[in-house]
Amino acid sequence: MVATTTNTTNPKQMENTDIIGIFGDEGSLVAAMEALKEKKVPMKDTYTPYPSHHIFEILERESKFTFVAFLYGLVAIVGILSFVIYTSVLDWPVNYGGKPTQAFPSFIVVTVIITILTITILSLLTFSVKAKIYPGKVAKMPVIRSTDDQFVLVLEKSRITDLAAVKAMLSTHGATEILEQEAI
Amino acid sequence: MYKTEIRGQLIYGDKTYGRISQDIVAPIDNKAPNWWKAAITISLLAAAWGVYAMYVTVRYGIGTWNVNTSVAWGWEIINFVWWIGIGHAGTAFSIFLLILRQKWRTSINRAAEAMTVFAVICAGIYPIVHMGRPWNFFYVLPYPNTRGPLWVNFNSPLFWDFIAISAYLLISASFWYFGMVPDFATIRDKTTSKLKKAIYGFFAFGWTGSSMEWLRYEKLSFVLGGIAAVLVVSVHSIVSTDFASSIIPGWHATLFPPYFVVGAIFSGFAMVMTLMIIIRKFYKLGDYITDSHLNAIAKILVFVSLIMGTAYATEVFVAWYSGNEYEMFTFFHNRLTGDYTFQFWAMVVCNALIPQLFWFKKVRKNLTIAFIISLFINLGMWYERFNIIVTSLSKDYLPSSWTSYSPTWVEIGIYIGTLGIFSTGVLLFFKFVPMIAIHEVKMVLKLGGNNNKHH
Repeated sequence: MVATTTNTTNPKQMENTDIIGIFGDEGSLVAAMEALKEKKVPMKDTYTPYPSHHIFEILERESKFTFVAFLYGLVAIVGILSFVIYTSVLDWPVNYGGKPTQAFPSFIVVTVIITILTITILSLLTFSVKAKIYPGKVAKMPVIRSTDDQFVLVLEKSRITDLAAVKAMLSTHGATEILEQEAI
Repeated sequence: MYKTEIRGQLIYGDKTYGRISQDIVAPIDNKAPNWWKAAITISLLAAAWGVYAMYVTVRYGIGTWNVNTSVAWGWEIINFVWWIGIGHAGTAFSIFLLILRQKWRTSINRAAEAMTVFAVICAGIYPIVHMGRPWNFFYVLPYPNTRGPLWVNFNSPLFWDFIAISAYLLISASFWYFGMVPDFATIRDKTTSKLKKAIYGFFAFGWTGSSMEWLRYEKLSFVLGGIAAVLVVSVHSIVSTDFASSIIPGWHATLFPPYFVVGAIFSGFAMVMTLMIIIRKFYKLGDYITDSHLNAIAKILVFVSLIMGTAYATEVFVAWYSGNEYEMFTFFHNRLTGDYTFQFWAMVVCNALIPQLFWFKKVRKNLTIAFIISLFINLGMWYERFNIIVTSLSKDYLPSSWTSYSPTWVEIGIYIGTLGIFSTGVLLFFKFVPMIAIHEVKMVLKLGGNNNKHH
């Protein structure tokens, strides 16, 4: 039995209303999304307890994160190696038991480790900035149990032409609840 | 979709997504059991003794230790290498199994990563107290200073060590923490306690679980995982160069980097097994940490034990085959026989022989025996570091500088202190953090020949 609830009454809010489909498992959500995609119904977002590659594919979500991390690495490797050569060879060459000051192979270790450290720090910062997450931020999500056991699909009401058909499609594919509520 | 027909069911019992959250969050919600209170009291006392011993060291100097001109490195370096070794498993476990897409890691990685962070913190204490004047710690940092200007020596393995361990600690801790963010969000949204909601909400960073958050999270995990895999190999290789780049007999060996890395993974996996058995037993999480998980760890241990045995044999063989009299003396008269015979054979028995019992399925399935073997491995790995450090230093090229070494109460105190700090960290982790990665376990709920069949 599918429960349908409307939480919006104000006409202004209605323009900014989302249709929320709640599912009990990933399989049902993905099946519903595939069906909606086939009918070219635009989907806004999902909220799930764990990541799903099927969802990323259906929503055509992409991220340049790995490429950016590679660029960080490239900049770091050049920067660190230059720094080490500047300090140890150019700025203040120190004679350690007659060993050559330009000891390139032994500079590799420090370069690699600090490059890894730089990639880590910059990747974490990029992640926090792009995902807009930071300590103490108040979470806003349509259904609170989506971090526990519910799989949530969000559709923009204003972009749906045949609302009844979409709701029917959601319930056919196993939505346990369909809500209408103000977009967050 | 990945299926694990070979490994079978990954989670036992009639689990739902909600039940998984509930089971894993239960130790956080429930009152701390009496054994936990007793254990944390003992751990804190041990840590307090350690802090006092560190105070004595800093107040009165390194003279409170028994290290001397010949054996300049004693328990502090033994314990430093020992802790770093243990600290290897968490990242090795998570990272290698993550990039190899091994789904069975999901029940174990969180605790293994926690263990890594606490072990590396313990390891980091030793070089600092060994400095004698720890307030001058910043001298090792490369910055334009007013003392020369004199830059640090970028060619020194000791400096590599400092960089590698600092980086390893930071990366392991970040990897661990970001892995917990979605789980903190689960606790935030599930708990009825206002205080817990506020605390876990703060640490959950406003996590919602939207598709883009998850996508970026996945990418971040793989980037961190990929680069940390390099660290797993490089950190202990670098630690080994502290020894291998010297000319001390028994140290100057090309075998050292892989030998140290494998040894580190060996001791770390043994500690993972110790912790997993404790978690399984005391928190009744047998449906998540299954026989299959412990079986897999035991099989890894028996395989690595063979490598360790081969390494020990190789060292002795090369000492003999090279014809180098100093190497011959070190191995045949100062390890296999001599003052430190017990420590050498304890190492061989604990690391190369006892783990061979894991060939037997009955042993792998018996948690008590597996637990005892895992402790023996960590004891054996401690003896290994003792052998490397003390035997080689106590009798080097010059007989007039030969000496023996035994620790003072201060050195023992620091070691017990780090054991206390480690176990305090682990116990706090048991109580306040989800011991198993909730969202990762949910991912594998439907894998492995559909659920719900109890073994």
